Amino acid sequence: MSTDVILFLGLAAVAIGAALGMLFSRNAVYSALFLILNFATVAVFYLLLGAPFIAMAQVTVYAGAIMVLFLFVIMLLGAEELRKRGKLGWQQPLALLLGFVLVAETAYLVFVRGDLVSQIVPAAADYGTPKDIGILLFDNYMLPFQVVAVLLLVAMIGAIVLTKDDRKIERKTSEEKA
Amino acid sequence: MVPVSYYVALSAILFTIGALGVLIRRNAIIIFMSIELMLNAGNLLFVTFARSFEQLSGQVFVFFVIAVAAAEVAVGLALIVAVFKSKQSIDIDEVSNLRG
Amino acid sequence: MFLTLLPEITLVVLAFVVLTTDLALDRQSRAFLPYLTAAGMLLAVIFTIVFALPGDKPQLIFGGMLRHDWLTFVFRLVFLFGALATVLFSAGWERVARRGEYYVLIITSTLGMMLMGASADLVMLFLAIETTSIPLYILAGFITEDDKSTESGFKYLLFGAMTTAIMLYGFSMLYGFSGSTNLYWIAGALMSGELPFISMMGTVILVMAGFAFKVSMVPFHFWAPDVYEGSPTPIAGFLSTASKAAGFAVIIRVLLTAFPLEAFGGVDWTMMMAIAAALTMSVGNLIALAQTNIKRLLAYSSVAHAGYILMGIAAASELGGLSVVFYIIVYLVTNLAAFGVVAVAERTLGSNDLEAYDGLSRRSPALALVLLISLLSLAGVPPMGGFIAKVLVFAAAVEANMVWLAVVGILNAIVGLYYYLIVLKRVYLFRSEEEDKPVPIPRPSAVALTVCLIAILVFGTIIAPWFDYSGIAAGALF
Repeated sequence: MSTDVILFLGLAAVAIGAALGMLFSRNAVYSALFLILNFATVAVFYLLLGAPFIAMAQVTVYAGAIMVLFLFVIMLLGAEELRKRGKLGWQQPLALLLGFVLVAETAYLVFVRGDLVSQIVPAAADYGTPKDIGILLFDNYMLPFQVVAVLLLVAMIGAIVLTKDDRKIERKTSEEKA
Repeated sequence: MVPVSYYVALSAILFTIGALGVLIRRNAIIIFMSIELMLNAGNLLFVTFARSFEQLSGQVFVFFVIAVAAAEVAVGLALIVAVFKSKQSIDIDEVSNLRG
Repeated sequence: MFLTLLPEITLVVLAFVVLTTDLALDRQSRAFLPYLTAAGMLLAVIFTIVFALPGDKPQLIFGGMLRHDWLTFVFRLVFLFGALATVLFSAGWERVARRGEYYVLIITSTLGMMLMGASADLVMLFLAIETTSIPLYILAGFITEDDKSTESGFKYLLFGAMTTAIMLYGFSMLYGFSGSTNLYWIAGALMSGELPFISMMGTVILVMAGFAFKVSMVPFHFWAPDVYEGSPTPIAGFLSTASKAAGFAVIIRVLLTAFPLEAFGGVDWTMMMAIAAALTMSVGNLIALAQTNIKRLLAYSSVAHAGYILMGIAAASELGGLSVVFYIIVYLVTNLAAFGVVAVAERTLGSNDLEAYDGLSRRSPALALVLLISLLSLAGVPPMGGFIAKVLVFAAAVEANMVWLAVVGILNAIVGLYYYLIVLKRVYLFRSEEEDKPVPIPRPSAVALTVCLIAILVFGTIIAPWFDYSGIAAGALF
C-alpha cells in the first residue's frame, strides 16, 4: 500500500469517526465540535485534491463562521443536554434500510465499478489556484455570483426580522404615538 | 495513488450518516447539523470529480454551495431561536402543534 | 444580452427601492409600500413583454447559465402574476401590510423563481432554487408573535434543507457521470455513455427529491398542510401557486433535456412519474375529504392538483408539455382566487374552520361567487378553465398509452368534486347567526380577485389562443 492510500484511509477514518461522533453524542456541543473536526478533515481532502481555495473557504466559512453560529445558538438556548431518545416509529426501519444501502453502495463502488478506479495523480502546479477560480467567478459565473449576493442580503434581512425583539418595537411605536 | 472510487465511497458514507442523523435524531439543531454533513458529502464529490476531469466548474459549484449553506444556516438558526422563544423546546416532536 | 435579463434586474432594483423607502417612511405612510411593489412588478411584466421577447431560436446566455426561450418567457409572466396577486392580497392583510421586509422577500423569491424557470445549468439551478426557498422559509415564519407561523416556517425550512441536500448529492453524481454542469451538455454525455440503469435511475430519484418537495409530490408532501395552515394566508396562496409552478418549470426542463428518454434502455422515468402522479392525486384527494380547516383542505387539494400536472409530465410528449403549461396557468389563477377569498374572509371571520363559512353567501355575495367559480374550476366543471386543463392532461396520458392513469385521474376528479361541493354547500345553503354582519373586501384584494375571476372564465371559454401559447412554450423543450 502506498503512502497516499495510507494517508487517505487514516483521514477517512477520522472523518467518518467524527461524523459518527456527531450523530451519537448526547451533548449538542460535542456534536458541533465533532462536526467541526469532520469539516476540517474534509478540508484536508480538498487540499489533496488540488482545491486550496475551497479548502480555505471550508475552514473559514464552514468550520469557522457557520459552526460558531451553531455553537452560539446551542449555548444561547441552553440546549446542550438532550433528552433520552424517545420512540422513533416509522423512522427506524427506514434508517436500517438506509444503513444497508450505505454498506451496499460502498462495496459496489470500491470493488465493482470499473470506470471509477482511475487514479488521482498529483495535480498540475497551476490547477485550482485561487486566481483561476476568481477569474472564472467573474467571467463565466458572473450571474450566479450576483445572485448569491442578493441571497446573502435576504438571509441577513430574514435573520433580523425573525429574531428581533417584538416588545422593543411595541415600546418604540408607543413612543411614536406619544 | 488513490482511486476516485475511494473518495466516492467516503462521500457516500458521510452522506448516509447525515441522512441517518436527520431520520433518528429529534433535536432540531442536530438535524440541521446532519443536513450540513449531507451538503458536505455532496461538496466532496464535486471536488473529487472536478479533480478527475481536470476542470474547475466543480470547485466553483462548491464555492456557491458554501455561500448558500451560510445563508440557509443563518435563516434556519433564526427560526430555531424564534420557535424556542415560544415553545421553550427544540425537540421536533414537542414543537409540533400543527397536525391532524 | 442584458436586455433579456431586464425583468430580473428590475426586481433587484425594486427590492432595494422598497427596502430604503420603508426606512424613510413613518408607520402610517408605509401602507403605500404594497402599491409601490405592485407597480414595480407591473413594470417588470411590461419589460418582459417589450424587451425580453425570445427570438425564434432559443439561446443560451450568460455563459450557458440561462436559456432564453418561450418556456422561460411564459413562466416569467406566470410568476410575476402570482407575485402581483399575492402582494395585492397582502395589502389588505393587516399583520403584514405595512412591513417593507415582507415585500422585499416576496420580490426576491419571485426573482429566484424567474431564474428557476430559465436555468440551463446546475449551478444556476441550485442557486435559483435556494433564492426562491430561503425567502419563503422566512415568509412562512414571518409573524413571530404567532406560534403557528414560526412553527410552519421552521418545518418548511427543515424539510426544504433536507431535500435540497439530497438534490445536491444528485447534482454531484450527475456532474460525475457527465463531466459538465450544463443541462444540455449532460444530455449529450448521458446519451453517449453506457451508464448502468441503476446509476441513471438513482440519480433521477436523488435529483427529483428536491423538485418533488417544491411541488409537494408524494412522498414529499407532508410539509404542505402544516405550512399552509400556519403561514400568513397570502403566502400560503403564493406557496401553492407560484412556488409550485416554479417547481414544475424545473421538472419539465430537467427531465426532458438532461435525462432524454433515449439514454435509458426500455424502462425510463416516465413510469416512475406516472406512479408518482397516481399516488399524489389519490393521497391528496382522499385526505382532503376529512379536513375541517379550509387552508388544510386547499393544501391537500393543491397536492392533488400536483398529481394531475404530473400526469402531463409522465406523458413526456409535446401534448404532455402543452398540457402541463396550460394546467399551471389555469391552476395559478384559480388557486390564487381561492386563497384570496380565504385571506379576505379570515379578516372578518377570524377563523379558518369550515364552520365559519356557514352562510357566507348572505354576508358577502361577491366573495361567495368568487369562491364558487374558483372551487368549481378546481373541480374541473365546465365552462371554467379547470375543465379544459383536466381534459388536456387526461388526453396527454391517453396519447402516451397510459389509459390506466387517465382512469385514476377521472376517479380522483369525482372525489375532488365531492369535497369542493361540501364547502360550497356550507357557503350557500347553511345559515348562521351572524348573517347580518357583512364581510368587507379591501379594494386591492377586490381588484386581484376580479382579474383572477375573469381569467378563469376566459381560459375556459376562449381556449384557442392559450392553447397555442402553451404549445409554443412547450415546443422549446423538444
